[in-house]
Amino acid sequence: MAKGLPKSFKKSLWVYHCNSGSCNGCDIEIIAALCPRYDVERFGIKLVGSPRHADALLITGPVTRQLVDKVKRIYDQIPDPKVVICVGNCGNTGDVFYESYNLVGPIDNVIPVDMHVIGCPPRPEAIINAVAKAWVKLETLEAK
Amino acid sequence: MTDTKVLDANSVVKSFKEEFKTKIKESKIEKRSAGIKKIEYYHIWMKIDRSIFKKSIKHLCGIQFPHLAVVSGNDLGKTIELIYHFSLNHGHKNKVVSLNISVEIPKSNPTIETICDYIPGALVTEREKQEMLGVIVKGIPDSRRLFLPNDFPKNVYPWRRDEKGLDKMIRNLHEVKK
Amino acid sequence: MKTQKTTKATYQVPVGPIHPALKEPVMFEFEIDGERIVDVDVSLGHVHRSVEWASRRRNSVQVLYLAERICGICSYCHPIAFARAVENAVGIEVPDRGEYLRIIHGELERMCSHMLWAGVAAHEVGFDSVLFLTWQMREKLLDLTEYLTGNRITKGITMIGGVRRDITKDMFPKIFETLNFFKDNFEKLRHVFLDDKTFKLRCQGAGILTYEDALKLCAVGPTTRASGVKKDVRVDQPYFAYSDLDIDYITPDALTGEINGDVYDRIIQRLLEVKQSIDIMEQTIDKMPSGEIVAEPKIPKLLSTLKKAEGEGIGLHEAPRGEVIHYVKLEAGSDNPYTWKVRAPTYNNILPWIPMLKGEQIADIPIVAASTDPCMSCTNRVTIVDKEKKYMLNKEQLHRKSVEKTRRMMK
Repeated sequence: MAKGLPKSFKKSLWVYHCNSGSCNGCDIEIIAALCPRYDVERFGIKLVGSPRHADALLITGPVTRQLVDKVKRIYDQIPDPKVVICVGNCGNTGDVFYESYNLVGPIDNVIPVDMHVIGCPPRPEAIINAVAKAWVKLETLEAK
Repeated sequence: MTDTKVLDANSVVKSFKEEFKTKIKESKIEKRSAGIKKIEYYHIWMKIDRSIFKKSIKHLCGIQFPHLAVVSGNDLGKTIELIYHFSLNHGHKNKVVSLNISVEIPKSNPTIETICDYIPGALVTEREKQEMLGVIVKGIPDSRRLFLPNDFPKNVYPWRRDEKGLDKMIRNLHEVKK
Repeated sequence: MKTQKTTKATYQVPVGPIHPALKEPVMFEFEIDGERIVDVDVSLGHVHRSVEWASRRRNSVQVLYLAERICGICSYCHPIAFARAVENAVGIEVPDRGEYLRIIHGELERMCSHMLWAGVAAHEVGFDSVLFLTWQMREKLLDLTEYLTGNRITKGITMIGGVRRDITKDMFPKIFETLNFFKDNFEKLRHVFLDDKTFKLRCQGAGILTYEDALKLCAVGPTTRASGVKKDVRVDQPYFAYSDLDIDYITPDALTGEINGDVYDRIIQRLLEVKQSIDIMEQTIDKMPSGEIVAEPKIPKLLSTLKKAEGEGIGLHEAPRGEVIHYVKLEAGSDNPYTWKVRAPTYNNILPWIPMLKGEQIADIPIVAASTDPCMSCTNRVTIVDKEKKYMLNKEQLHRKSVEKTRRMMK
């Protein structure tokens, strides 16, 4: 794992994945990060099925108008302290869909984001790197 | 599994012309080839009049039940052109023929009959034309919106190029707010 | 799509857009009576990003990059169908070597997609270890994709008139090594999916789509071939160089001798197609001619040809999920296409969900929906709506119900 991480982690990071209208490229790379080749499960990171159990939110896709309320609701359901990781260019700036009439905008406009991962789609290594850094941030948030 | 007879492009066009005579405004057969052996395949493009539209679909189902791929639409200024992309002769190697039937309807009266009673699989694509181009499909079993959200403004049709189009709704997602 | 109102009190189950079972936002509302589904309504739209409208403001080469991002899983089939449509509209002849190279990339993508699907389907039934096994095998294919094109998912290998990169003789050993790995492990995959008693119990007889329904509702792809309808663009129409190769329609009776149109048949169908893809790739490499890979290597010259061109054309391709069709209309004097219509294969496979799901149990919804391999970002949302009483069943509960049913059957 990255250097400079505190030596003891009190708990493992549980992640909830939400797709707000993406092309699925980033979602496939997120699942590939869990598979035996990259295997983040050995660090205790796992995908959970409900936002109420999660510590971190992995969100992909430019937010379409139909899904704005649902994204906000999911963000509210995750208990504090939490981190939000935005995966892929669509969520960061809109990527090739920058002029679309049906999109509300980069995820920044909807919920506060802590970590941005760029790439279309980003490689699983980049996603793992972001999750590790988010973990550090979460530990510091918890300490407060 | 019933085996369908193989129809070649010329006989399909001839059968339509014999049945509907002058109402077939234009027809064209394009020939292309592919691969080293240069085996040929055909695309038929036909323009028909709106008055015989439903009858011609019935005639087509009578010759052979087609496979409807999709309906595409063009905004040509005063009229809207709908193109129905069919294909025939499935199950026969290298013999499938693509049949594209196009119908022009005026913007002052943009109605067309549904073909869902002959081909039930056409429901999804007809609903899309209603919301994207403002075409009214008479007799459609389900006329709700398909892709656009329910709170999308009523008289705005994204594919149109006139005042009912989208020019006012264009966004710019990656502008930086100062 | 709505049938007459039932007199018994039925429940309406909306399964909300964001759920862990399917990776895409899809909303289902089922009308259920006890545990049986009575009626199903479908609504689409959560992934609508106005791609077709955006093409009017870009030139044809930029549209290729836009087309790639319609869907991450089928990121090769949309640009290639668009390129074919433009070539048919303008009359550009692709050189022979370019056609053969296009086949290799297409079949590689098909194998990646079927492996992905196999993992997702196993996860729905409850076998997570099979998910890891198939995705580990898929990583080898992604390594090969990266070696040939430079990226794992969005390849960027298509150009109007051919392909952008060549596959030289020194790259062949790596391709053969990957294909041999799959040939050796195909038997293991077949054994895991088809000989397992639990898979058979869960999948046989579930989600049946009859031959007549598949024909009337214009279904495409492995979904329709598993019901016995012989529709496959590679065999129907001679495009790329498929007419030079020895291929034929594949239906499940090649392995079992009978066709039922249920979920089990669809699993067989996709496994047989993986085997067919390996065979096609070997034939292609064997017969590859030498020559140019693209009709016009200089892009500014290509763009000026397209600016002067006028016409309309359609482009068809057999994607892993079925037939993809693009329609393009070009206008003289303009860089941008006048009209672009995309029809992804899942579009046609939505209506077949209704006869497939009626009469099934709720716990079977994930496995039946996953067996048609839906790709929502291609299609833009589907919701299924029902009437009467409402209570929410979110994805996790639905997935858990499916897994619990498997555990019950295993006892």
